[in-house]
Amino acid sequence: MSDSYRLPARLDLPAAEPLAQALRGRLGANMTLDGSDVTHLGALCLQVLLSAARTVRHAGHDFALVNASDRLTEQLASLGFTPDRLSGGAE
Amino acid sequence: MSDQNDPMADIRASFFVECEELLEALQDGLGSLDDGVGDSETINVVFRAVHSIKGGAGAFGLEHLVRFAHRYETVLDEVRSNGLTPDHENVKLFFRAADHLSDLVRASRDGLTVPQDAGDALLAELDAMLGTPAETDEASAQVEFTPLGIGIDLGDLDAPFDAGSAPSTRWSIRFQPRAELYETGNEPQILLRNLARLGTADVTCDVGALPLLLELSPETPHLAWTIALDADVSEAEIREVFEFVDGLCDLEVSLALYDDNTASTAERPPAADVNAPAGVTLPQPDTAPQDMPAPPPARRAAEPPARSVVRVDLERIERLVNLVGELVINQAMLAQSLVSAGLSPHSDAMNGLEEFQRLTRDIQDSVMMIRAQPVKSLFQRMSRIVREASAAVGKEVRLVTDGEATEVDKTVIERLADPLTHMIRNAVDHGLEPGADRVSAGKSAEGTVRLSAAHRSGRVIIELSDDGGGINRPRVLQIARTKGLIPPEASLSDTEIDNLLFLPGFSTAESVSNLSGRGVGMDVVRTAIQQLGGRISIQSESGQGTTFTISLPLTLAVLDGMVVDVAGETMVLPLNVVVETLSLGPDDVQMLRPGAELVRVRGGFVPLYDLGAMLGYRSRRTDYTGCIVLLISLDDGNRAALVIDGIEDQRQVVIKGLDDSFFRAPGIAAATILGDGQIALILDPADVIAGCLVPLPVDARLPDRSSKEERLEHG
Repeated sequence: MSDSYRLPARLDLPAAEPLAQALRGRLGANMTLDGSDVTHLGALCLQVLLSAARTVRHAGHDFALVNASDRLTEQLASLGFTPDRLSGGAE
Repeated sequence: MSDQNDPMADIRASFFVECEELLEALQDGLGSLDDGVGDSETINVVFRAVHSIKGGAGAFGLEHLVRFAHRYETVLDEVRSNGLTPDHENVKLFFRAADHLSDLVRASRDGLTVPQDAGDALLAELDAMLGTPAETDEASAQVEFTPLGIGIDLGDLDAPFDAGSAPSTRWSIRFQPRAELYETGNEPQILLRNLARLGTADVTCDVGALPLLLELSPETPHLAWTIALDADVSEAEIREVFEFVDGLCDLEVSLALYDDNTASTAERPPAADVNAPAGVTLPQPDTAPQDMPAPPPARRAAEPPARSVVRVDLERIERLVNLVGELVINQAMLAQSLVSAGLSPHSDAMNGLEEFQRLTRDIQDSVMMIRAQPVKSLFQRMSRIVREASAAVGKEVRLVTDGEATEVDKTVIERLADPLTHMIRNAVDHGLEPGADRVSAGKSAEGTVRLSAAHRSGRVIIELSDDGGGINRPRVLQIARTKGLIPPEASLSDTEIDNLLFLPGFSTAESVSNLSGRGVGMDVVRTAIQQLGGRISIQSESGQGTTFTISLPLTLAVLDGMVVDVAGETMVLPLNVVVETLSLGPDDVQMLRPGAELVRVRGGFVPLYDLGAMLGYRSRRTDYTGCIVLLISLDDGNRAALVIDGIEDQRQVVIKGLDDSFFRAPGIAAATILGDGQIALILDPADVIAGCLVPLPVDARLPDRSSKEERLEHG
């Protein structure tokens, strides 16, 4: 089990590409993302997270979003998700 | 309103009006692509225009239109998503496709059929451009996006969060952001949250075919949302939430079936499980978190400020114009009766009347402005003519337009289309030399036709110029002599030769091409322009090109006129032709020969016409001493002096067209109603003078008169 990756505070449009890069580098193992710092989640980063969750799960590993901040939970909700559903890759 | 019985007819009509606007935007977009000034947004605009037409057409079941628009859109989409830059040939093809699309739109509107072949050929070319085989599956035209039902339990999804309140309307909203939405700094999350504030929202994300992380391009949007919104709001209020991203996303708002809603609430426990795996129900937040900015109106800044527009039935405007016309007449009548009541010009009543007059004029101007439209739509039609004409004669021609925003009365625009079309065809066919000749003359192979519009001293000036070889005057002269249009020995100035083009039956085309030389000559053009109260003139320079200048009144409904007395009859002359007024002294008039007199004006001589005699009111005067003369300037730059019996007034008159059942008397353009209720005829000076010369030999009349005059004027 690898260390959890602390998501940056602002997951907005400019953050999507770096986030994807960072997560790509962690493929091939269980992935745990720590959402305690997140204050803003945009739809493009959500997309990256979802894609990552699916990729990790398809590879037979575990994906989890933990310590989601209240704000993150609230914003996920706006977009139709819960931390659990996101972790499941919406599958 | 139009058809009260069929609400669909209205909606349909407004769809077609929208189509016109979209087609205009399409043409604009293609124009900037062609000029190379477009950016990535331009192709999006073009795409959206086609897409919106397709969408509307689908709603009305206009299958031809949908089919063509879909394939066209597919190609545009390819270009747009692959960031290709279409070259000149591609843009030309897009233009032709746009032309065909507008044909289809008009055919659908008027219930006509459009030949299938043209469309098929174009589609084949479009497909060839992408190098893809022609798409045959037309069913795909309707397929936009297929959400994959990944782990979404529809039962739970529909569970409404209904806290036992009165049942409200349930809306079903589908929202799919496009890349531009993100690029312009908008964020679906904020939009969705604002939407949720309207009521109780049940948001579901369509994850769809989201690629795995390694294939994912993070800035390409894949997600779409379906929102079931229980809220007592109108569709407009929902759309308002997405106002700033209008055109940047695909948005569908529909009313979910109400029965379904109540039935399901009855069956289900009212409490919603916030952690339900699929749908998540949001409580209504009372205040927005401080760090969340409202969706930034970034998009607005990039566009010219949107104008808010009201669509009004033309008939209503006509009625208003007529009423204002009556008001002007009434006001004039009132003025007249106050004067005849012997009121002092300084009395309150007269001052008030002056104020009233000013207001009337303002109202009239404003009403006329309602009818005014930018000439842009006309120019766009002309750009199509240029494309078709240049293709037909195999010349490379570029149309440059200027002053598209110039506003002209709608009727003028409509009636200008035919003459302009003809002139443009002429310019392309005769005006511009073939490519090879141009190159050897040191010009670029691509000819330029320039179309410009501008307001100048209360009139609209439309100029059409080409950079061709100019008028071949020796040849024009020779043809005119051969056809017997002028006497063989007549010597003409350059301007006069140029004006020969306007003679009926004149054509210089050596070969009758597809385009011109079909017997519709410049004389028809000139007549059409004159019927609009306009003038047309030519300037041409050998090797440099030819320019036609059309000068038109801003409106056909009112005219600044000079009210004159001719043998006891009241007549109106358009003020714009009157250059000056003079009173004749004993030595001013010189006889050239019996029945032809000249008047000396500022060192030059101008032919004198006795209006009363020409209109048949009385016999010709023998002594002109003390007579009042109006010096008028004609279309061709020539001048004439009209003898009248008195000037009564100078005022704005409302033009009332003469019914077709009246004899079309030469020299009479229209009529008007004066302040005292009297009807006065409005004269067309050019026509009056042309008409009076009938006794002279027809062949000789025009050059004969003008050449003498020319010589005398310059002498």
